[in-house]
Amino acid sequence: MSNIGETSDILAQRKTYNAGLSQVSDKSRATWFPLLLLALLTALPALQLVGNYNYLIHLVLYTLCYVVMASGWNILGGYAGYISLGHNVFFAVGGYFAGMVFARLGISTIIIAPIAGLVAAALGYLIGLITLRVRGPSFIISSLALVMIFRIAFENWHFVGGAAGVSLQANDMDVQWAKLPYYYAFLAMAAFALWASYRIRHSKFGLGLRAISKDEVKAESAGIDTRFYKVLACAISAFFVGMAGAVWGEYLTYIRPNIFLVILISVNMVLMCILGGKGTVAGPALGAVLIVAFNEFFVATLGASAVNIMATGVIMAVALMFFPNGIIGTLAKHRKLPRILNWD
Amino acid sequence: MADIIQIVVLGLALGGVYALMGSGLSLVFGVMRIVNLAHPSLIMGGAYVAYWGFRLYGVDPLIALPVAAIILAATGVLLYKLIFEREAKSAKYSEMTVLLTFAIAMIVEGGLATAFTNTQRVTSPGYATDAFFIGSVFIPKGQLYAGMVSLALIAALALFLKYSRFGYAIRATTQNREAAELMGVNVNMVGLVSFAIGIGLAGAAGALVSFVFSFFPSKHWEWVAVLMSLVVLGGMGSILGTVVAAYVLSVLAAFVGYFFGATWSVLTFYLALFVVLLVRPQGLFGEKPEMA
Repeated sequence: MSNIGETSDILAQRKTYNAGLSQVSDKSRATWFPLLLLALLTALPALQLVGNYNYLIHLVLYTLCYVVMASGWNILGGYAGYISLGHNVFFAVGGYFAGMVFARLGISTIIIAPIAGLVAAALGYLIGLITLRVRGPSFIISSLALVMIFRIAFENWHFVGGAAGVSLQANDMDVQWAKLPYYYAFLAMAAFALWASYRIRHSKFGLGLRAISKDEVKAESAGIDTRFYKVLACAISAFFVGMAGAVWGEYLTYIRPNIFLVILISVNMVLMCILGGKGTVAGPALGAVLIVAFNEFFVATLGASAVNIMATGVIMAVALMFFPNGIIGTLAKHRKLPRILNWD
Repeated sequence: MADIIQIVVLGLALGGVYALMGSGLSLVFGVMRIVNLAHPSLIMGGAYVAYWGFRLYGVDPLIALPVAAIILAATGVLLYKLIFEREAKSAKYSEMTVLLTFAIAMIVEGGLATAFTNTQRVTSPGYATDAFFIGSVFIPKGQLYAGMVSLALIAALALFLKYSRFGYAIRATTQNREAAELMGVNVNMVGLVSFAIGIGLAGAAGALVSFVFSFFPSKHWEWVAVLMSLVVLGGMGSILGTVVAAYVLSVLAAFVGYFFGATWSVLTFYLALFVVLLVRPQGLFGEKPEMA
């Protein structure tokens, strides 16, 4: 009898200890910061009332699009540790699905986006069933081959316009306000993607994925259904990337293989996560901001896209060699992560 | 019947070039366990050496070949010293090296495009557009020469690996790095030399490619997946496997191109990659399956 009492004592102690721990991590987190950021970004288009800030709005929109994509990529590449260089396939599938629906039926891609995401997720599930059988280099190679296959397929598929693609009707709003529907769509998606990455990270599913990235064999012997977890992670990450692609097509007013299926887009996703910090919630967002800023800087000062490719390569190499954990990861390791960036 | 012979001949002629393009990749993977995504971009570098040699000085690409090989081998030494030597201790070595080679590929591509623009180039010595005829079957001279030179180089590599003392060391390191080190093999030196040979072969392949295909800096992405499919089908690290895979897939691609149109022929390589990963992830001649 006393035995049971002791056990419940221990359990109670552990409970208070755990509660203390979570309080500590709650204190090191500044929930107000992401919310403030969201509020500021929501209010940002008000600038249009006092002047022409279309370029700024475009840049923020572009960054938000990459926040969605990089956060999506992070679920498979960061949490589960399966680095995919082929995630722009889902970007293309989402973009083409929503774009074709928009072109044929006139339903806005913003409404179709979740469905386009689900289509991409279904494809991600199927592809994951095949390619996630192998890991490490073989997986990376297969993801690269996937891009090539889809590029050839889309360029030769007449229904979706082949290499010339399909042009989409621009909305008939005033130039000053024309970007806003897409802006808010991307803002909502980015907020959703970050919230989802946070929830996944703190779920049993997310814990399983992180176990897989550390040691898959051990994870499996600990009773994690690694196969299902990985494939599901691939589907979820494809969902976000597909959703971003859906709206991106209408924003550009055309869908064409060479805006979706170029290697630089998937590189950007990978690079943002690595630079910001793979497997963290804030990493992909921070990486997206930095990489878009870098790209703009290079294009503005040097002008040539070839130089841009080279610079992206240099940044990637340097980041990999000297900060393999990314900015967030490295700072957290040295316990110097500012509270406002601790979104985990 | 004549058609079929023709297709096989064209496939085999290309297969030789692909075999050389892939064998350097295979060597580097075997010894260093690096999946060198930068290999095709370095081949591109070799192609530009041959192209400018021909364009500016009228040097035949086959004569420029050793020069391209040496320049690229030196680049290989540099890359090894700068990057891969220090990565050897990395915990996520295989993943890190793939991403690093990816970054190198972008740097090389961007560099080449900055220097030479993205214009389509091809080296055009007389034989590039000429052909032999045997009955009604024609054999393009350029591809035939390129195929023969690559076979010679691959044979030389095979002999070197099989009979030279250093070749023993390379093969031992491929089979078991730690055991080789215990037997007194300087694995770092082996790594350096085989990396240099592998990249040098990329340079040599580039000189051949320069008159077989037209090329421009960003074209290397098309080659990446093609070469990777050879290496995966052949079994990662097996040079013999890569060569066999190059011939098999090239002939297959030639048939696909004949029956379904030229755009689809390259798809053969990519689909083969998936089929291999599905059915036999260790490839034809590979030993260790990297199954999850």
